[in-house]
Amino acid sequence: MTTFLQLTGSGLALGAAYALTALGFVVIYRASQVFNFAHGEFLTFGAFFMTTMCAAGLPWGLALALSMVATGLLGAAIERGVLRPLVGRPVFVTIISTIFIGLLLRELIHAVWGADVRGMPTPWETTYGFELGGVSILANAVGAIVAGALGLGGFFLLFWKSRLGVAMRAAAGDQETALALGIPVGRVFGTTWFIAGAYAAMAGIFLAMFPRQLDPNLGLVALRAFPAVIVGGLTSPLGTVLAGLGLGVLEMLAQGYINPALGELGQGFHEVFAYLVMIGFLMVRPHGIFGRADVKRV
Amino acid sequence: MPTRRLITHYRDDLALWPDMWHRVGLVVAAVVALGYPFLVSDEWLTIGNLALVAVVGSIALMVLTGLSGQISLGHAAFLALGAYTTAVLGTRLGLPFFVLLPLSGLVATAVGLAVGVFALRLEGLYLAIVTLGLIFLVNHVLLGFPEYTQGLTGIAVPVHLWFGGDGPGLASTSEWFGVTLSFERKLYGLFLLLAAGCAYLATNLQRSDTGRAMMAVRDRDLAAAALGVNPARAKILSFGISSFLAGVAGSMFAMQQQYITVDPPFNLLLSVQYIAMIVLGGLGSTFGAVAGALAFTMLQPLLEQLGGALPLLSALTRSQQSTVLFAVLVLLFLAFEPMGLAGIWLRIKRYFAAWPFRY
Repeated sequence: MTTFLQLTGSGLALGAAYALTALGFVVIYRASQVFNFAHGEFLTFGAFFMTTMCAAGLPWGLALALSMVATGLLGAAIERGVLRPLVGRPVFVTIISTIFIGLLLRELIHAVWGADVRGMPTPWETTYGFELGGVSILANAVGAIVAGALGLGGFFLLFWKSRLGVAMRAAAGDQETALALGIPVGRVFGTTWFIAGAYAAMAGIFLAMFPRQLDPNLGLVALRAFPAVIVGGLTSPLGTVLAGLGLGVLEMLAQGYINPALGELGQGFHEVFAYLVMIGFLMVRPHGIFGRADVKRV
Repeated sequence: MPTRRLITHYRDDLALWPDMWHRVGLVVAAVVALGYPFLVSDEWLTIGNLALVAVVGSIALMVLTGLSGQISLGHAAFLALGAYTTAVLGTRLGLPFFVLLPLSGLVATAVGLAVGVFALRLEGLYLAIVTLGLIFLVNHVLLGFPEYTQGLTGIAVPVHLWFGGDGPGLASTSEWFGVTLSFERKLYGLFLLLAAGCAYLATNLQRSDTGRAMMAVRDRDLAAAALGVNPARAKILSFGISSFLAGVAGSMFAMQQQYITVDPPFNLLLSVQYIAMIVLGGLGSTFGAVAGALAFTMLQPLLEQLGGALPLLSALTRSQQSTVLFAVLVLLFLAFEPMGLAGIWLRIKRYFAAWPFRY
């Protein structure tokens, strides 16, 4: 039982980071129908920027805010420079261009920060933890969960209660009509990418803090968060957050229970397991839990 | 916008090489392709072989993505299946290459058809991500049976000329009418044959009713279904053909490399590279797939040299430099030349065909 609770606890922390990652995808997809394959590199960029800020002696909170802004600006710049000219082209084109932007960013991050593994600075003792009912919990894990909850809450407020949220939903619903009604769709897209970038930085920083360290391959985690995005439904922020948390727990439980049972084949099985679950799930509901099927007309 | 030539007769639409351009181009291409292995250095011969592998692989992806519009990020998985079938069966059973090539294709087809059935319910992004999962699954399984695949260490690929693996292998060098036939040159001949066969098959597919059904499904599946095309059949068929060819390409790759590991090369990056080839060449045309594959493989070493000369890039490794330059190239193509190399070629053809008028 203790093992189970322990695994669930760390799963939730991992899941919070996944949820933040996945939210970045959904924010962009909802507004502009672009699935941003470069998102993983935003995580890496944010995390590396953070280490540079901290090394420059800035207080932790300010460094976090600055990295979020910087990554957000990067996102907005990419939207304006590369993706805006591609509006109206087939899905395929945006998929490929974001993949290649990702490759490009990755190599540039390599060039600027090198390939070394670094520790992520934390405001508390890095290995500080406490006991709760026989389960030891790392402060980093709690930090990830709290940050995740704050970030998600903020997003839902923005999305459902603010003028910008209304504009984002309108632009997502129908670009032309939104434009005709005076909504600056281009600026909304830019803002969306900014928000997604900021969330990516946060997710990257907490991911680099808790389950792993910071290296240029941090972005690959985004590939692991895909099942959460898909199972949650590409258009549903709530579904994605739930699926993200579920994915984290599932991955930890699979690592704890299924991997040892499979012997040689079980090595690293938890990384694949999420994809298996996703494929099975899609057979039942091809548009995720909360996603809606598109109505198609000839 | 460059357009295709005007077709006034159904016969012209069905013709395999309809006009002078095709015939002349084909003869020139054949002469260059046949002379190539005897004119270049060993290094470039290897690059040529890899280019032919890429041609087969990109034609495979073109059938799936270009013709029937199914976005797949899992192309590397089929290549991996083909390569490992060749390696494992070649080692265990000592099968000759001419059995292994189709057998690798069939193994990949089996998986491809299964994925095709799954794909019927999915579209666009959902399909892209499921096929991405396929890479992870296949790689996991390949690494999970080290007694067969030798896991992370990688496996040597024997190339047998006949059953049992005895006698002079393909790997030996022989003389033939005063011309030295090294292993690489023999492989080149074999690969050239396979690549030409694939291109022929893809062109034929495109002008047959099967291929037209695929294109109709790509353009608008509901409309195609209303007109009597069976979208499920077209999609599964294109998955089958594509995975078979990809398996063959994987087998060719294994024979060329002679020693393969799982990751790299069989990862997301490889899939993306194949997508880049067909986009660079021009989506949905065989000429585009071939041109894209050749341009991609031949440009790689050139870009590596260029990368060393640029200021910020020289801090990176050579393969990273070429990745950066290539990514920039693909992005520029996407923005400014959506029809790719095939579009440029069409424009040149139009210009000369209509000369001295503008159009």
